[in-house]
Amino acid sequence: MIAQILQALVFPGILFTVILGFIFEWLERKTMARMQGRIGPLVAGPAGVLQPLADFLKLLFKEEIVPAFADKTVFRFAPGLFFLAPLVSMLFVPVTGPKAVASFSMDLLFIIFILAYATFVVAVLSYSSASSFTTVASGRLVLQYVSYEIPLVISIVTAAIFTGTLSIQEIVVAQSSWWNIIWMPFSFVVYVIALLAELEKPPFDIPSAKTEIVAGWLTEFSGRALAFLKLSKELGLVFGASLAVALFLGGPLGPISQTNIPDGVFYTAYFLIKIFAVGLLIFVARTALARLRIADAAVLFWKLLLPLTLAQAFFILMVGA
Amino acid sequence: MSGDAKSKRGLGEVSAGLVQYSVENLVPFGPIHPALKEPEYFKLVIEGERIVDIIPRIGYVHRGLEKAAERRPWVQNIYMFERTCGICSFVHSITYVQAIEGLLLHKLPERAKYIRLIVAELERIHSHLLWVGLMGHWAGFDTLFMWIWKDRELILDVVEAIAGNRVHKSLATIAGVKRDIPESLKPTIIERMKYIAGRVYFYKDIVDTESTLLVRTKGIGKISADRVETLCAVGPIVRAAGIPRDVRRDAPYAAYGDVPMDVVTKSGVDIHNLMQLRLDEIIVSANMITYALNHMPSGEIKVRVPPVIPKGESASHSEAPRGELFYFVKSNGTKTPDRVKIRTPTLANLPSSLEMLKGHTLADVPVVLTGVDPCFGCMDRLSFHDVDSNRKWTWSGEQLRQYGIQYYSKVNPR
Repeated sequence: MIAQILQALVFPGILFTVILGFIFEWLERKTMARMQGRIGPLVAGPAGVLQPLADFLKLLFKEEIVPAFADKTVFRFAPGLFFLAPLVSMLFVPVTGPKAVASFSMDLLFIIFILAYATFVVAVLSYSSASSFTTVASGRLVLQYVSYEIPLVISIVTAAIFTGTLSIQEIVVAQSSWWNIIWMPFSFVVYVIALLAELEKPPFDIPSAKTEIVAGWLTEFSGRALAFLKLSKELGLVFGASLAVALFLGGPLGPISQTNIPDGVFYTAYFLIKIFAVGLLIFVARTALARLRIADAAVLFWKLLLPLTLAQAFFILMVGA
Repeated sequence: MSGDAKSKRGLGEVSAGLVQYSVENLVPFGPIHPALKEPEYFKLVIEGERIVDIIPRIGYVHRGLEKAAERRPWVQNIYMFERTCGICSFVHSITYVQAIEGLLLHKLPERAKYIRLIVAELERIHSHLLWVGLMGHWAGFDTLFMWIWKDRELILDVVEAIAGNRVHKSLATIAGVKRDIPESLKPTIIERMKYIAGRVYFYKDIVDTESTLLVRTKGIGKISADRVETLCAVGPIVRAAGIPRDVRRDAPYAAYGDVPMDVVTKSGVDIHNLMQLRLDEIIVSANMITYALNHMPSGEIKVRVPPVIPKGESASHSEAPRGELFYFVKSNGTKTPDRVKIRTPTLANLPSSLEMLKGHTLADVPVVLTGVDPCFGCMDRLSFHDVDSNRKWTWSGEQLRQYGIQYYSKVNPR
């Protein structure tokens, strides 16, 4: 019992996810900076690795302002609800071995539900702050959501169809010899593109477009709420990358050497290498691309990516089953 | 959110000419906004994401420069007018001294003419690079921004080596320039120009091929050549519309008559063409600088002039990076000017940029509004009235002053 609680709270649960979130933010800032001919975080910790943590702590101590016209209850509590989404979802992704911290027979459906839940929490908290910028942002957010959701879900479900199960653990185990990406490369590509949209990274940073609507739905938040919202976005990235690894890249599985080092060390190392690879893919994409307009994003998802995922799913249905 | 809530926060009902818009459809853009580097306020009337109308409200950085000039000696004013703009500072100072030189009989030394040309063209390069980089930033393409601004530093280093300052060069003076370009600097500058031209070809390639950037720029912010002429636009916009108009060629000042130059034109105004045009102009400028350095005559760089400027009126214009810059100077034969009037290119281009915006979406606002390379700090000296409302009247300076007194006694009663 105590071991399970520790697993949920410390490793590979909440604390591990949060630390990964900070490391991902550092990696993102550093990758972007190097690609753009800059240096990036440098001062806090070795090569600035503690900078995201320092920023987070700084924000915690800042004054929190609640706009006079905001819906105060939602404005206060919604950031917490948003923060929960990636933390809870991470518990269902196997990290240290083929078994996840929590699992049940149809947890993939639950994860898909949580993806939708996170977006709508954001839409609600965006409306709750009652400013012109956040209102436009929530409109864009929902429009973007209806564009990317169906390709995203179909690409996730393709993996489930292929392995014939709705449990993430079983999908991972089924990939012990061949990774799913070999059979469904397009699903993986569409998943990563939809993930960029889900995480609001360029070219899909439309709901938080800095030069158009200030900080989008984040505009009115400050202090603690802002700190946690920003962290939640990074956690979303960690979870998105982890899910990609679990569904398409064989999860934490890989060759194990027969020494007295526990298997979990190897599995965790494979898992970390794989999610950092997916993370790098996302960082390079976001650095190399300009922001689309909302209409162009919708056209991209509906006209190009949706047929692509459907074709891939059809192929898997014909061949795989 | 209710209209009442909005009007409480100062948005209120607005009208543009005869049309009344309800507050529900208004999105404020500025005066403090990440896309604007200087404060300026635009009320965007939107339907969903589409922009129906746009109502500018200018004057947030009115600094009273023209009035201040009347209390300062002629020479001090050079340095003040240089601070009209933080980007195209040198062209302001040379246009002002050119207007004064029109009242003097002294002849400008040949070498000074070339130095003015070289520094003005360096300034154009850095200004255009700055704008293209910012355009990347506005379109959500920060990588282009970072790369271009890194290259821009090279130009600023050259400017610093020549003038001693990066931004406000303080180089121009009446009938001459204050510093010479040393012979030892020549190879460095020429080498840098070659490097910059190479980089610009690379950026031209990016602007032409990067698909996400093309979606944001191609066909965005269109305006016909006719409307451009009607709305009296100047500079890159006119040239992008296909009209070869450039003060440097049409009415040469400094050494522009002696240095060969091409006037770059494009087939029609849109943001993509404006970016290409400015990048092309950088290459032209780089070639001009190289030519000018190789053909620069030796000799004096300035002539001594008396502190009192003879009585008279004079006007001068030049091609600033943003378009035609105009200075009017009136002297009554004393140590200070009687009146100085500045017309900056941004003011001339603002009506066209608003026209370019209509019908586009909210996402295009930063890209289009800044497409004319606005410099609101330069522009804010007089407010103007929308001609579409058919209300026309003239005011003397005294009437304007009375209006100001009345207005402020209402706004801020004692």
